[in-house]
Amino acid sequence: MIYLDSAATTFQKPPAVVRAMNEAMASMTSPGRGEYGPSARASKTLLALREEAADLFHVGDPERVVLTTSATHGLNIAIRTLVRPGCTVLLTGWEHNAVTRPLAAIPEVRLRTIRAPIFRPDRFLEELDRELDREVDVMICTHVSNVFGYLLPVKEIADRCRQREIPLIVDAAQSAGLLPVDLEGWGAAFVAMPGHKGLYGPQGTGLLLCGTTGDPILAGGTGSESRRQEMPDFLPDRLEAGTHNVPGAAGLLAGLRFVRRKTPKELLRHEIRLKNLAADGLARLPGVQVFHSQSHQSGVLSFRIPGKDPGQVGDWLSQRGVALRTGLHCAPAAHESAGTLETGTLRVSFSAFNTPKEVERFLGILARLP
Amino acid sequence: MYYLIMCRSLTHAQRVANGLERAGIPARILRTPAAIAPSGCSHSVRIPGQSLSRTLTTLNRLRLPHLGIYVGGAEGYREVEA
Repeated sequence: MIYLDSAATTFQKPPAVVRAMNEAMASMTSPGRGEYGPSARASKTLLALREEAADLFHVGDPERVVLTTSATHGLNIAIRTLVRPGCTVLLTGWEHNAVTRPLAAIPEVRLRTIRAPIFRPDRFLEELDRELDREVDVMICTHVSNVFGYLLPVKEIADRCRQREIPLIVDAAQSAGLLPVDLEGWGAAFVAMPGHKGLYGPQGTGLLLCGTTGDPILAGGTGSESRRQEMPDFLPDRLEAGTHNVPGAAGLLAGLRFVRRKTPKELLRHEIRLKNLAADGLARLPGVQVFHSQSHQSGVLSFRIPGKDPGQVGDWLSQRGVALRTGLHCAPAAHESAGTLETGTLRVSFSAFNTPKEVERFLGILARLP
Repeated sequence: MYYLIMCRSLTHAQRVANGLERAGIPARILRTPAAIAPSGCSHSVRIPGQSLSRTLTTLNRLRLPHLGIYVGGAEGYREVEA
């Protein structure tokens, strides 16, 4: 199989990730249950994960790295903390349903969206300045579009929010492990990311970097202040009720170490190289519309074939051993911004384990599409 | 004689213990004795009796706060001014 769906889940994991999870299953229980070996090993693993993440993502205090089940989980905490009924929330226009659905569940939230063409951060910032001059309670920024790989100018967005004291939530689902993520530098209230994409961890893991304490959406045991019936007011306990996914954390820690060894910069360079190869090849196929930018795009690439349903093309490719994603990618807002809401797109995305040869084989197969 | 440094969470206790160990001070995490944990479960870091001064200096340097320091002995625990 040629796996080109890493924007959903990186399928090929570093062997160290699998080893770490196996080892955790065989040798660890849960942190904080006692000073006996299996519990102590679990505690050490979780702290190592927090410290590794704090270092990579510029979180001064590892206690502000909260373990979640996904970016969606983290975004729900962030949104529930900052967005109250009646709030005005500014969006970039490239958000995933992980952002828009939690917002839709809060009554009377006013959503405003930046309207600027794809791959034009200059135009985006002009519109942003206009929008920020009006009332905004919270800004939510997608760092990289999961559909188009569009790199939003997050640093400039963060600067503007900080100057106006507008709390910022960053969805780093497609950027963590590839681009600089800088909680303290941005002054963001929250940054949410999954473990199973660019960090090469297992599914069911994620991290929420907290610039502020946050309100829990789940209450329960934390192994601390057990006589009180309120959740603790300190991190990470406040946002981590229930038993931890220790094997998942062990896998994510190994994934993070893999990323740091390879370096996000090199991983991104590799993915962009493959994306450019795919974009050039797709552009040579008759009638194919490619959403491509040399300078403002990660390794995620969408395309359409006029007159062909993306889902059917995806099925045809799947039968020939190519795994990619089709449809709306859980991000109708992004498709609305790009004008592709009615059809959706086909999307290819890459990881450290893809090769140029695989891209060429994919292009060769697609060229035979009837 | 030994001292217990009471911490707000296990994660915090781990950071305190690691910081002290790196400074050459033997430190062990343990459950805070119920007698001095009015809110229920918590974690503390145990250090030898002769290490208090160095411990305080180290925690200050690492900017690691604590919830209290207790001296432990045959008669139980007593909070000490730090």
